[in-house]
Amino acid sequence: MSNSKNINARERARLAAEQAAARKRDRRILIAVVAGFVLVVVAAGIGFQAWRTYRSPSAVPSSPVSASPVAIATGHPITLGASQAPTTITLYEDFHCPHCADFEEQFGPIIIQAQESGAARVELYPMSFIDEGSAAAANAMACATEAGFGQAYYRGLFANHTLQWNDPQLIELASKIGGSPSEAFQTCVTSKAHADWLSSIDAAAEKNGVAQTPTMLINGKSVDIANLTPDGLESMITNATQR
Amino acid sequence: MSTGARLVLGGVFVVAGVLKAVDPQSSVAAVGAYQLLPASLATIVGWGLPFAEIALGLLLLAGIATRAVAAVAGLLLVIFIAGVVSAAARGLSIDCGCFGGGGQVNPGETAYGTELVRDVGLLLVAAWLVWKPQSRFALDRSPR
Repeated sequence: MSNSKNINARERARLAAEQAAARKRDRRILIAVVAGFVLVVVAAGIGFQAWRTYRSPSAVPSSPVSASPVAIATGHPITLGASQAPTTITLYEDFHCPHCADFEEQFGPIIIQAQESGAARVELYPMSFIDEGSAAAANAMACATEAGFGQAYYRGLFANHTLQWNDPQLIELASKIGGSPSEAFQTCVTSKAHADWLSSIDAAAEKNGVAQTPTMLINGKSVDIANLTPDGLESMITNATQR
Repeated sequence: MSTGARLVLGGVFVVAGVLKAVDPQSSVAAVGAYQLLPASLATIVGWGLPFAEIALGLLLLAGIATRAVAAVAGLLLVIFIAGVVSAAARGLSIDCGCFGGGGQVNPGETAYGTELVRDVGLLLVAAWLVWKPQSRFALDRSPR
C-alpha cells in the first residue's frame, strides 16, 4: 500500500520535472526566436536605410525657371530667378534638414510659380551644419548655380534629401535634372571648390540671427513657417509684390 | 493593467520607431547630436535603432515573450534616459530625437525635463511588465 503510494509520488515528481524541463526548453526556443526576429528586423532596417542613402538620385520634373550662370560671391546668397523681381524671398536651408524638405514639398511649387511669373526671386543661403552631406550638397549647389542649372539642381537636392550626397551622387544628379555635368562642374564638386563660401554663408546666417532652418523672409520680413499655409504664402507674395 | 501597459509601451515604441525610420538622415543626426558615439557608429545606431524599437513594439503589442521583451525595452529606456541626462549635464542644446527629428536646438528650447518624465514613466511601465508579464489578448500562455 505505502509502497505503491511511494511509486505514485515518485512518478508524479518525475512527470512534473519533465514538464518543467519541457517548459524551460520551450521558453529558450521562444526567446531565441524572438531575439532572431529582432536581429533580422534591425539588419533589414539597416540595409534598407543604407540603400536609401547610397542609391542613385531620382529624376525630378525639370524646372521651368531658366537660369543663366550666376557667379558666387563671398557672404552673398545664391539668387534664383529674375534679379529685378519686385519681391525677394530669402531662404535659409540645409539640404539635409528634414523640415526643409517638408517645406519644399509644401511650398516649393508656389515659390517656383512666383519666380516664373517674375514676381519674386529667391535668395538662397544653403547652410551646412547637419553633416558632411549638407556641406557637399551646398557646395554642389553653388557649382550648379555657376554652371547655370541651379534652380533645377535645387529641386533635385530636396527631392532626394534622404541621400548621403557623396560626389558620384551629386554629379549624377546634374544629369538627372537635365543639366550637363561638365568637367568644370565635376571638379567643382569633387574639390569642394566653394568651401570658403559655405563658411561665409554660415557666418552671414549667424550675423543675420538665423538660428534654425528653414527660415524664410519675404522682403526682409520674417515669416512664421509653423503656421503657414500654401494659400497664405501665395497671398503674402502677392501682397508683397503689389506694394 | 498589464494588458494596458503592454499596449501602451508597444504602441509608443512602434510609433517612435516608425517616425524615426522614415527619416534616416535626421535620426543619424539626432544620435550624432548626443556626441557620445563616433560618426560611423552613430550612423549604424541611427539606422538600426528605429527598427529595433519597431520590432520590440510589435512583440509587445502581440504579447510574445512579454517579460523578456519588456526587460530589453526597459534597458533601452535606461540608455535613453542616461543619454538625455548626460546631454543635459554637458550643457548640450539638443532635442532628444525621441519621436524623430532631433538634433541641435536653440539653448532655450531644450525640453530635458519633460523628456525625462516621459522616459521614466515608460520605464515604470516596462518594469511593471517584467514584474507581471501575464495579460489578456496576448500570445503568451494565458494566466493559469
